[in-house]
Amino acid sequence: MATTVALSKPKRRGRWSPWLFALPALIVYVGFLVYPALSSLWFSLTNWDGLSATYKFVGLDNYLKMPSDPVVVTAVKNNLIWTVVTIAVPTVIGLLLAIALNGKVHGKPILRLIFYTPAVLPLVSIASIWGWLYNPQYGAINSFLRLIGLDGLAQPWLGQDSTALWAVMVPAIWLRTGFPMLLYLAALQGIPNELYEAATVDGASKWQQFWNVTMPSLRPAHYIVLALSLIDSFKVFDMIYAMTYGGPGTSTQVMGTWMYFNVFQYYQAGYGTAIAVVITLVAIAVGIPYVRSQTKEAS
Amino acid sequence: MTLTAPVRVDVPLDSAEPTKAPRGKRGLVMTLVLAVVALFWISPLALLVITAVRPLADFIGNGPLSWPDQLTWSNFKDAWGIGNFATTYKNSAILALIKVPLGVLVSAMLGFALAKLRMKFRRTVMFTVFLGLTIPIYITIVPVFIMMRSAGATDSIFGLIGPYLAFGIPFEVLVLQSFFRQLPDEIIEAARVDGAGDWRVFFTIILPLSVPALVTVAILDAVATWNEFLFALILLNSDAHKTIPVGLLNFQGQFANNNTGLAAGILIAVVPILIAYTLLQRWIVGGLTAGSLKG
Repeated sequence: MATTVALSKPKRRGRWSPWLFALPALIVYVGFLVYPALSSLWFSLTNWDGLSATYKFVGLDNYLKMPSDPVVVTAVKNNLIWTVVTIAVPTVIGLLLAIALNGKVHGKPILRLIFYTPAVLPLVSIASIWGWLYNPQYGAINSFLRLIGLDGLAQPWLGQDSTALWAVMVPAIWLRTGFPMLLYLAALQGIPNELYEAATVDGASKWQQFWNVTMPSLRPAHYIVLALSLIDSFKVFDMIYAMTYGGPGTSTQVMGTWMYFNVFQYYQAGYGTAIAVVITLVAIAVGIPYVRSQTKEAS
Repeated sequence: MTLTAPVRVDVPLDSAEPTKAPRGKRGLVMTLVLAVVALFWISPLALLVITAVRPLADFIGNGPLSWPDQLTWSNFKDAWGIGNFATTYKNSAILALIKVPLGVLVSAMLGFALAKLRMKFRRTVMFTVFLGLTIPIYITIVPVFIMMRSAGATDSIFGLIGPYLAFGIPFEVLVLQSFFRQLPDEIIEAARVDGAGDWRVFFTIILPLSVPALVTVAILDAVATWNEFLFALILLNSDAHKTIPVGLLNFQGQFANNNTGLAAGILIAVVPILIAYTLLQRWIVGGLTAGSLKG
């Protein structure tokens, strides 16, 4: 870039040309994601039923109604349990598997393939598979319990309030363990061997090595696993819908499904979107640090 | 779009691990333990296969955990017909074939503008687009449903393309722009000196150099598209237009008492994705992990 001529030419072009590249994606993104999300904000302030041509502006009524809706209370509780359990358990199992796979083991590729397999299946098919395993009469789970003499434990797992949510979380854990495992495995392979050698020379036990060498080195992996699992966990819908349909009763409703039922079953589109707005705001608030870190890193 | 794991891609991880030769008793014990865990982990799918190839009477007579006395293919034939899989397969395939290349192309263009062109409001655009990763689909379903109804695009797989593209873009842009950023500026400068414009740079330099990232993103996007459920549930209502996940849900209701047929149907729905995963796992695994852990 020695001459001014060479400098000014790309600069002038630079003003609008980037937007030609950016616009197709941005138009689709704004048209089908940003705009609908924002117009949901508007609908959440109305009493629209989802069918009529007219509706009234009702201010924050839909939001104020929520605390006295017992299903919303159940849904919030279920969302919280779901978030904690389907983050903590897959992360711990994923880490343990990664550590085991990183050791002296035969057949690593095939083991890794097996543990990640559930993650690529459609959620609906996972729901079908587990619904079938949980079948009270012919399901493999009750059959197995009877086989090992624990007949008393055989029960309608998805059909009773006390076990339904936990029964849905098991396949969620099954499906969500693969990703932390892969990430931790890659991170473990990146820890230089010298660190362990130095620790061994210093007389650190395996246990001390794990807490003082392995865990600190895994910090970036922990961060990504936690951020992505959090973002993901608020989106729960498919699995509940396909496995229990929110039931029995309303015992497994989460905010996503309860929103859907209000809009498409009870014709309360205004109230339904208000529920969606609440959970979306939580999801955004939780996700912003991750989004910012990705934006910052890039510049 | 549930599978999107937004991390950066460098190059596919080479599946050949550093060869620490597994020697000694501890390695053997660990392998055995892991093999048992893996067997347990894959047992739902294994049971599914065993159940799908046995007659219903055999299943009921001997129980779900027994080895089949008889083998049959008839479950697959029944499930294929009643589950309407010929139609749902076709719909899902057409959708993926249109949506995935289109999504990767527009995302690559935006990623290129963000990574390599001097664009105003770059940070704002990035932040806005990446924020899309956190937005659950259900916040948009009511307005999207209204939009599609007034456009006459409900009950058509083409009505799904817009929403699917929009929810795929944040992840694809995030991965692609970080890959483009790592390409040396010198190559682009050299092409510019030779008189290449932005479009030529994009198509003849950036894209060819980014094939690994493009393939990874395309595969992950195809999996997410193939598996998407909520938009398909609200926008498609006639059997002729359903995709695999919605079709499978209907099928599940009809086969509630036919365990072997149900198993065959589920298997029909997941086999293509299992085969694709096994063949392409190098790209999936590498794409999900490589480069995401720096810093």
